[in-house]
Amino acid sequence: MGGRERTLPTAIRRPTLIELENGPVLYYLGTYLQHSGEALSFLRLLDSISFRAIAGAITALLFTIVFGDRIILGLYRRGSRDTKRSFDFAVTGTRAPKTYGGPLLVAAVLASALLWCQLHEGFVLMTLSAVVWFAGLGYIDDHLKVRHGTSDRGLSESAKLVLQFLFSLIFGIIYVLEPLSPLPAGLATQLYLPFIKTPVLDLGWAYVPFIMFTVVAIANSVNIADGIDGLAVVPVAFAVAVYGTFAYVASHARIAEFLIFPSMPGAGEVAVICCIVFGACLGFLWFNSYPANVIMGDTGSMALGGLLGTVVVLVKQEFLFLLVGGVFVGEALSVIIQEKIGLRWLGRRFFRSAPIHHHFQAQGLADTKIVIRFWIVAGILALIGLATLKIR
Amino acid sequence: MRYLLTGGGTGGHVYPALAVADELRRRDPEAQFLYVGVRGRLEESVVPARGYRLSFVRVRPFPRSKSLLALIWFAMHLGLGILGAAFLLLRFRPHVIFGTGGFVSAPVMFACGALRKIGLCSSRLFVYSPDAQPGLLNQIAGRLADRVGVVFEQAARWFDMKRVAIVGFPVRRELLDLDRDAARISLGIPGDRFVVLAFGGSQGSRVINRAVVDALPHLHGRRGEIFVLHGTGRISSDGYDAVADTETDVAALGLVDLDSWYRRYEYFDQIELAYAAADVVVCRGGMSTLTEVGVAGLPAIVVPLSTAAEDHQAVNARALERAGAARVLFEEAAWGGDQDAGVNLGVPGKNLAAVVVELLEAGSIRKDMATAARQLQRRDSLELILQEIDTLVQGRRARPLALEFPVSDSGPPADPNRLLHYVRNRLQEVGGVEGLCPRELAYLRYQADRYLASEGFYEIPLGRRNVGVKLVGMLHYEERIDLVLTLLGDRRPASALQRWAGGDYRHPGILRRNAIEFPLTTIGLDRCGAAARTAVLDALATDPYFEVRAAAARLLGAQVQPGDVEVEAALCAALADRTDAVLVEVLCALGRMGIRPALLDLLRPFYVHHDWRCRQETVHALDRLLERGVLRSEEVAADIEQILSTSPNFEPIFPLKNSLESLALRIHDGRARENAANGNTAAHVN
Repeated sequence: MGGRERTLPTAIRRPTLIELENGPVLYYLGTYLQHSGEALSFLRLLDSISFRAIAGAITALLFTIVFGDRIILGLYRRGSRDTKRSFDFAVTGTRAPKTYGGPLLVAAVLASALLWCQLHEGFVLMTLSAVVWFAGLGYIDDHLKVRHGTSDRGLSESAKLVLQFLFSLIFGIIYVLEPLSPLPAGLATQLYLPFIKTPVLDLGWAYVPFIMFTVVAIANSVNIADGIDGLAVVPVAFAVAVYGTFAYVASHARIAEFLIFPSMPGAGEVAVICCIVFGACLGFLWFNSYPANVIMGDTGSMALGGLLGTVVVLVKQEFLFLLVGGVFVGEALSVIIQEKIGLRWLGRRFFRSAPIHHHFQAQGLADTKIVIRFWIVAGILALIGLATLKIR
Repeated sequence: MRYLLTGGGTGGHVYPALAVADELRRRDPEAQFLYVGVRGRLEESVVPARGYRLSFVRVRPFPRSKSLLALIWFAMHLGLGILGAAFLLLRFRPHVIFGTGGFVSAPVMFACGALRKIGLCSSRLFVYSPDAQPGLLNQIAGRLADRVGVVFEQAARWFDMKRVAIVGFPVRRELLDLDRDAARISLGIPGDRFVVLAFGGSQGSRVINRAVVDALPHLHGRRGEIFVLHGTGRISSDGYDAVADTETDVAALGLVDLDSWYRRYEYFDQIELAYAAADVVVCRGGMSTLTEVGVAGLPAIVVPLSTAAEDHQAVNARALERAGAARVLFEEAAWGGDQDAGVNLGVPGKNLAAVVVELLEAGSIRKDMATAARQLQRRDSLELILQEIDTLVQGRRARPLALEFPVSDSGPPADPNRLLHYVRNRLQEVGGVEGLCPRELAYLRYQADRYLASEGFYEIPLGRRNVGVKLVGMLHYEERIDLVLTLLGDRRPASALQRWAGGDYRHPGILRRNAIEFPLTTIGLDRCGAAARTAVLDALATDPYFEVRAAAARLLGAQVQPGDVEVEAALCAALADRTDAVLVEVLCALGRMGIRPALLDLLRPFYVHHDWRCRQETVHALDRLLERGVLRSEEVAADIEQILSTSPNFEPIFPLKNSLESLALRIHDGRARENAANGNTAAHVN
């Protein structure tokens, strides 16, 4: 992919055929058309990141809403449901078996990204490959669970971790390696902290294990948080909104200078993708809101988690996730405290059940109450996260 | 001819190989032998002493833990071992490979299989698998082998019937003809005595030594008829010195005239003499010991080593017992110990004495057992094995094995969780503990004992003991209630670090909760006695872990009759508990069994409790108290206004799902009716 250093096409020049071959569908179609006549010059809008971001979000949103019903029914017919259904005796409990709708979410993101992103941009390639890899991983897991008819027989814990670490290793190496990295020279291995203007540390190659840990931890924490209808998808939407803003700031030379951010030309595409994911999340919530007729399953939660992990690293705001993704961090911590510290080490429980949303369920809170409270917390944390833009 | 022998780790694997080698060498002095073993194991000392060349391969035992890392580590070592073994095979070019199984022989057998695949090796492979249930590596090796030799019929089902042969276990020639009278004269034992030979293998066994000494007082009354030969063994490790320990124990008994009927040996130099003189043997369940005893034609009282790999000694012993050749005495768990208090395994002397006396009195049973033992153990085992090897060398087709009966399933699984599932299913099948046949029940209870004695980790600290606690409850093992109560009341603290992080006692909260939820609840508080009642009340009042207190309250509410003043007082005191989950159970329990009219005053503060489940349970309790006539309607009527009735919960209604459920119920009922109509015929078919 040649054109990394070339962020936006210059105004008057017509694109060459080679550039067209490299281009994304709508983006280059527009660029090509706007030079064919004055009447189509409004297509210059396509140069603008903010326009493509919003258009991408709406595309993803409409995609899910329009195709949602059909895709969900198709998935249900293929037997992609969360529990085996037995009519031998009465099915107790309030949960009806739901369809795994992860593919819907992933398809919306990919379709919209294909239309609105500069696909040759390193940032785009990295985030989209994360989506594909983690979605594939989650799909295998879902598929095994469906085939064995029980949620205990999915991909084993260790196999999942190995595959996740494999991706993040490759990602980390490309990220740190100078000629391959989409980041400006010397920036990749700098460690930034929220509230602090300058990089605190140059980690060098030690940045790779740090990236691996970050990506895998975030992917799994999103996976853990996905437990009640609509619980994971809204905090993910908030988080990508915050990170999209950060990416936009970093990509815009003047704003970056004003807010004292390291300038990362090309990171604007991350903002576009974040907005697309935001739209897809809202579209998914259309069906996933309580009582849900579709759940994202491992396919969706892994894809979103993997994407969030890579975005966090690409924008160089890893530690900000502790704040912006506070809901996910809390969920993951509750599992660690319950399983590793409580059960394995002390032989006792700290929560009635883990992850923590199950604890609240066991305490007698209605699902909707828990979910909306989590949204509120995620929203507040997202606002605080946004505030760190200026407070540094 | 060139013979390659491999297998080791323990005597059960090394000695058969050596017995076969000795016989081969006797027949053909020109034959060359190479023994392949692992450094640091038994074969390192034994094999060169018998005059065989010994080479080593690198390999480690199959990992017990299921962790991926351990498995990869094992696979790496096995891979290296296979490479080394392939090298040895190419250099030595044996005609026959005789492998006795275990991890030691795996590299050679796998290397042989691989080399034969690519045509670099033409050795014939004979796998000898002495245990009643072959290990995993042996099962794989059995697929590569030209011929598999087993001892028990039930082991045959793990292998291809066309290749497997029942060959028995080779024993030393000296055991084949024993002279009882001569042996008794040389040992100086009166000819009319009933001789009990007790020993725990060459090393000695603490459990057998203690059981024998413990049994002596019970046998003292029979001292005119009985004579005990006791081989203590020379073990002196882990704070146990077999000789000294046994000596002090015997001295502590203070029995008079003991020398006339009890004699102790450190080690039998000529065990044949002891076998010849004996009428019954008390021993461990290792394959070599059991075979020797069987060939000697002696009834055996077997005490399986509960820590043996895959519990194979118990499997061996039960195979003998099923054939009528042995009695099995399982180790039992008990609280106590030398240095640090814990759960120990042992066989009560009373039980051992009872079996000995039974066999002493019933000569016919003894005779039947001896016959069964002789039939089970083939005296011609060595000849059979050599015949099989000859067949292999000459390339003739061997006769496939035809079993008279299909062999039944081998028994409970080794994995703790699977074992729990197995026991649960088994109990459902037979309709409760009463439906199990006594020997099966004894065996399953022995599993409970094994797990109780284990200090191992399983999901939680002391988790294997936790499994044991559950088993005690599922199997209604009332003899272990005292032990469970001791665990429940064990207040020895966890480490300081653990306490800082929220831990409390050495026996963790989950285990204590299970002690109440499984044994006490399933067996019933009444049957468990006064001590259990005290322990549960104590747990409710003082246990620091909320699940234990909640379980205690639940048990009391469910099983104590109304009118029990002491329990009611304890429950009322527990209303001051700081955990909502406990309060819910306490309120429920009070509703079920409270009788004091003053209860209403105690319940009033809960009308506006912050947790809605406490409020709901209060309402339930009031309802029950009204129903039982403890409270009068007028009293409650005034209060009902004060109860805060909002709650952050609701029951969602899914109309479609509800309709579907009622349809499913209708189908279920319809099927049940149809089944009932065809009931009689179906029952016969099943």
